[in-house]
Amino acid sequence: MEGRLAVVALEGVGKVFRGRTGAWEAVRDFNLSLNEGEFFCLLGTSGCGKTTVLNMLAGFDAPTSGRILLDGAPVRGPGADRGVVFQGHDSLYDWLTARDNVAFGPRLRGVSRAERRAAADRFLNMVGLAGQGAKHPAELSGGMKQRVQIARALANDPRILLMDEPFGALDAMTRATLQGELSRIWAETRKTALFITHDIEEAVALGTRVGVMRRGPGGTLKATVPVDLPFPRNRTSDGFMAAFRRVHLLIHEELHAHG
Amino acid sequence: MGSRAATIGGYLAGFALLFVIWHLASVSLVRSVLFPPPLPVLERAVSLIQDNILQEQIVASMRRILQGFLIGSAIGIPVGLAIGSFRPVRLLLEPWTEFFRFIPAVAMITVSVIWFGIGEESKVFLIAYTTVFVVVISTAAGVGAVGRDKVRAAQCLGASRLQVFALVALPATVPYILTGMRLAMANAFVTIVAAELVASNDGLGKMLWDARLFMQVEDIFVALISLGLLGFATDRVFRLLIRGFAGRFNPTM
Repeated sequence: MEGRLAVVALEGVGKVFRGRTGAWEAVRDFNLSLNEGEFFCLLGTSGCGKTTVLNMLAGFDAPTSGRILLDGAPVRGPGADRGVVFQGHDSLYDWLTARDNVAFGPRLRGVSRAERRAAADRFLNMVGLAGQGAKHPAELSGGMKQRVQIARALANDPRILLMDEPFGALDAMTRATLQGELSRIWAETRKTALFITHDIEEAVALGTRVGVMRRGPGGTLKATVPVDLPFPRNRTSDGFMAAFRRVHLLIHEELHAHG
Repeated sequence: MGSRAATIGGYLAGFALLFVIWHLASVSLVRSVLFPPPLPVLERAVSLIQDNILQEQIVASMRRILQGFLIGSAIGIPVGLAIGSFRPVRLLLEPWTEFFRFIPAVAMITVSVIWFGIGEESKVFLIAYTTVFVVVISTAAGVGAVGRDKVRAAQCLGASRLQVFALVALPATVPYILTGMRLAMANAFVTIVAAELVASNDGLGKMLWDARLFMQVEDIFVALISLGLLGFATDRVFRLLIRGFAGRFNPTM
């Protein structure tokens, strides 16, 4: 688009899982390119293959057809250029403090102890966990753990942030708070992001663009809706309502497409 | 620290109750020279301690246990890590662990004495033998139980295979290793007594055997209580270690 090289491009990507019970086509002919500084929300019903898309982009799964490019180079396995925030907080290291969890990426690169601690504190501060760095994950609430995960991914300064329903397991209040915080952080960093969710309001509140997936098997991108609204977003504004309605109709068709 | 005081109080009360029941049982229920009440046993223990006899037996048994235990763990931990980390190693070595763990150390006493004689080596070998398989199985299980997302998170933070192993798999496995060692220590107590019963010049097992020969019933009880207290103490040490490494982040351990 306009000669700009996409940060991420998925071209005709498909994924078929083969198991003992036969083959399952999770994703079919998925095409998407994400530009620098875009916050793309991928929305779909459960089982539509949206997590499979993220796992392929992260390099955890290899596509069975098509190709995935990051800055023009094909993706082969996971790497530090794609930071992932997982849905569950099992991905945090229980034996490390919140600070050391956030400093894990810099530690792998051999950044000095003082430097990576300072960086970790800066990112903990950014996600609203100032002064909580010495705590272990078991001492943090579910929402705080997801904040640590976001800080950990950001501290590694990836090209793109991949988030797999990071707030899916949180209560509604905590979720709304974290959505607001994530929007603020994104406005500060303008980090290119792919955010997976099945929550329409969440997608419209966070995304600069919302992609709706067609229901699986063989899930694919059905439509994308640009959400050109300023941050922080007012969820009761006419613009928000209009975007919500558009996305809702697209999802609604999917819910009733096959019964 | 009210809960700690309660724990200690509970243990003291529990032990006291045990001795009260023992006393009542021996003076009113059984009333036999073969079942002495606690007091004469305690007196016998004091005199054995004064003559430095009990200490010698304890040191002899504990030295064998520690030596064999350390050797067994030193072999078991790396083998368990290798089995848990590499599929070919697992396929190759799993039959070994599945085979040998059903041959109890007690059954190996005869072979051990034939190979190593009745000296220290045979006992140390038996303790190492009983330790190694428990530690291998528990360590391998720990490596297998490392959460997928923990490994993936490290990979997308840029970790190499070696870094994933050293910084994620290994620390995540430590509680399993310690739990395996704790179980192995309990086995070591069983094994040492059996080994010393059959072939030894000293140790608590030998003390039990001699006391039976000469009908020194109090000595038998002193040896039994010593075993119980030593086992209890070493198990406590392991519990504290496990808690130190894991308790803070895993309240179920």
